[in-house]
Amino acid sequence: MNELLKIDNLNISFQSSGSDLKTLKDFSINLKERESLGIVGESGSGKTLSMLALTRLLPKQARITSGSIIFRNKILNNLLNKNFYKEISGNKISMIFQEPMTALNPVHTIGKQLLDTYLYHNDVSFEKGVLRALEILDAVQLSKNKQRMEQYPHQLSGGQRQRVMIALALINNPDLLIADEPTTALDVTVQKEIIQLISKLRETIGMALIFISHDLGVVSQISDNIIVMKDGEIVEKGSTSKVLNKPEHIYTQKLLNCLHKLENDQKKEKLKNSPIISARDISKVYKLPAKIFKKPEIIHAVKNVSFDVKTGETLAIVGESGSGKSTVAKIINGLIVKDNGEVKIKGQDVEDISLSRRAKLIQPVFQDPYSTLNPIHTIGYIISRPLVINDNLSNHNIKTKVIEILELVGLSEEYYNRFPNQLSGGQRQRVAIARAIILKPQILICDEPTSALDVTIQSQILDLLNDLKQKLKITIILISHDISVVKYFSDRIIVMYNGQIVETGNSEDIINNPKETYTKKLMSSVFSLKQKNQILRDNFT
Amino acid sequence: MLRFVAGRLIVVLSVGITLSIVTFFLLNYVIDPAQAIAGEEALFEEIEQIREQYGFDRSITVRYFEWVSGIFKGDLGVSYYWNKPVISLLIDRAPETITLALMSVSVTILIAIPLGILAALNPNSLIDRLALGIAVTAQAVPNFWLGLIMILIFALAIPIFPVSGDKTLFHFVLPSIVLGASSVPAVMRLMRTGLLDVINADFIRTARSSGFYGWRLIFNHALRNALLPVVSVLAVQLGNKFGGSVITESVFAINGLGRLALESILGADIPTVQILVFVFAIIFLFFNLMADILNAYLDPRLRL
Repeated sequence: MNELLKIDNLNISFQSSGSDLKTLKDFSINLKERESLGIVGESGSGKTLSMLALTRLLPKQARITSGSIIFRNKILNNLLNKNFYKEISGNKISMIFQEPMTALNPVHTIGKQLLDTYLYHNDVSFEKGVLRALEILDAVQLSKNKQRMEQYPHQLSGGQRQRVMIALALINNPDLLIADEPTTALDVTVQKEIIQLISKLRETIGMALIFISHDLGVVSQISDNIIVMKDGEIVEKGSTSKVLNKPEHIYTQKLLNCLHKLENDQKKEKLKNSPIISARDISKVYKLPAKIFKKPEIIHAVKNVSFDVKTGETLAIVGESGSGKSTVAKIINGLIVKDNGEVKIKGQDVEDISLSRRAKLIQPVFQDPYSTLNPIHTIGYIISRPLVINDNLSNHNIKTKVIEILELVGLSEEYYNRFPNQLSGGQRQRVAIARAIILKPQILICDEPTSALDVTIQSQILDLLNDLKQKLKITIILISHDISVVKYFSDRIIVMYNGQIVETGNSEDIINNPKETYTKKLMSSVFSLKQKNQILRDNFT
Repeated sequence: MLRFVAGRLIVVLSVGITLSIVTFFLLNYVIDPAQAIAGEEALFEEIEQIREQYGFDRSITVRYFEWVSGIFKGDLGVSYYWNKPVISLLIDRAPETITLALMSVSVTILIAIPLGILAALNPNSLIDRLALGIAVTAQAVPNFWLGLIMILIFALAIPIFPVSGDKTLFHFVLPSIVLGASSVPAVMRLMRTGLLDVINADFIRTARSSGFYGWRLIFNHALRNALLPVVSVLAVQLGNKFGGSVITESVFAINGLGRLALESILGADIPTVQILVFVFAIIFLFFNLMADILNAYLDPRLRL
């Protein structure tokens, strides 16, 4: 097949206060027509930057210092902006982005946005444009396409908006589609549909695809070849099966290990302990403020949910966003007052437990380590606060304890006087965990503790939690939408949907033999490397 | 959309009713209307006679309803000071104020919007700094001073424009520039930040990746979003021009509503003052309503 795109020794620097920071080093790829290439790497690895250079969307401070981009035997570097935008971008090369919620213009209808792009690049009548727009909306499997043309982005769901984005990118039948983390912001069940859609459209249109993601599992589903990037450099290059089965670079091996580890089950002991938490028929209703002519809207965040948590076990609550899983966590924690039902911790109603006793019983770890730590305080101060408030200890004792805990979570004494902004995401999450366990609580509620972190960091944090669970004999409630994380270390799983429990059981049973249709859908949407390897092997034999 | 407008109308109506109550009660409590008509040196008997003659001895609530029902019938009362029906005063004076308000807002739009766009497209450049300089200066300069300086330069030193008066549109040029300049800073800054925000938004990246660039990108894809906050502020400014032209009208001797308000206040003319306060408030409400509707038209997310 003919060569479509050739990037040779591309170097990009960021200019910051006089000094140049090299962020992309000697990036070279060859892409044939109809080929699909996956680019994998963590945030800051340069994977997006290389493609922004190709589409001339680089941020102002970034500059291409050397290298050439050749597309269909044409050197793109020297092309005038005017010609590049008119001929290439949106026409021959299209791009879709991560965040479908903000990627469409909120004040224009879907139809206008599609037509704008089509009529700009094609000299055809308005009526022909409308026909093409309807056709492409149909191709991205958006139902009621006539109605959609009149709708505004805010009237569509995230998955639907991403379909519109794809339609917008494909309306001119491009030769190359660049998809930058197109599924990361979507719910798991929608993720799979979008991946399948892109895959199918690639076949029908006959275009090449560059798929950027931090998730090796997702990338391996859709790519013929994969490149792995780290710190602005390509560290591994090869066919998908070679990269998955015979990774050469140590970083790729590390990435794969993290994925495999998540897939392999931990050895779990069956627990027959008494329940430490029992929740009975808890409900929570949110009322949206009333508007003129409109009744107040009532949202049943949690409806008659009952469950037990046994001492020493790890219970996972899974579900999509809006399923009520975080509300349940906050009710158990006493952060939200429930409307109905009762929650008992060690036989005592959670609302009757005094604040300082509750703090010693149950502690939360939240999702976003970037915003949960107060930036004006030192790490030592943040971790010591629970002790200062709840225990009567001398300053010297408090400091010793804080350092002890710092070491327990894998940090050292030198972090004591640092500030949160001097720490990486993973280190911050360790601090958040340290703060949560310093009072030696019996229960830890982790609400999406890893979803804001990079893959390799994710597995480190999960390892730490697992380690602490063994050492401190803590009961953990894990809230997550990520089945692989849940699988990694939970004993039991509760599946929630629309504020209700759909299914509950031992984690192996739920993962391997889900009974309810929703659970099946949830489980099947997880991209597993094992399945992918199976497919590859089947293809080879 | 209809439901949205109806909802807004109800809000405007209730604010209007509240306003009429507050204006009426405030003015009729603070000043004794009989004393105001009779004058400073009137005898007690004279005041009491006027009180009876004009019906001020009745309860204030009764007089309020009389006033309100009068407004609905087109009877706005009679001015004690001018000895004329208030309505004819309004009709006499309104055209000058309307002309001045519209012209000064046009001045604001013509200066502030292009300057704001240029500043946003070249952040921290010379033009951005210059625009900021103009904005800060215009905000710091008081209206009456700028008015006098303009008269000195453009009417006396270089006699292009007339010094004062309101006979032709030409008379309105200088006052419009003075009055319009005071709104330039707010509108320009808002235009700049609004457009700057939009340019960095994800959907502009989408538009750029679809091949749009240059002025086409700005006008077709960014401007409408950036104008949303500007529209609200312009409406408030237009309302301000109707009510806040008291000083400018006095400096340039324009016989508009602002000057009427000033003279009526000095003459303790309660019927005129209470109608003027009420009318200014209603105009303000009206422009806010228009801004809300225009914003809802521009931004579909607001049509709830």
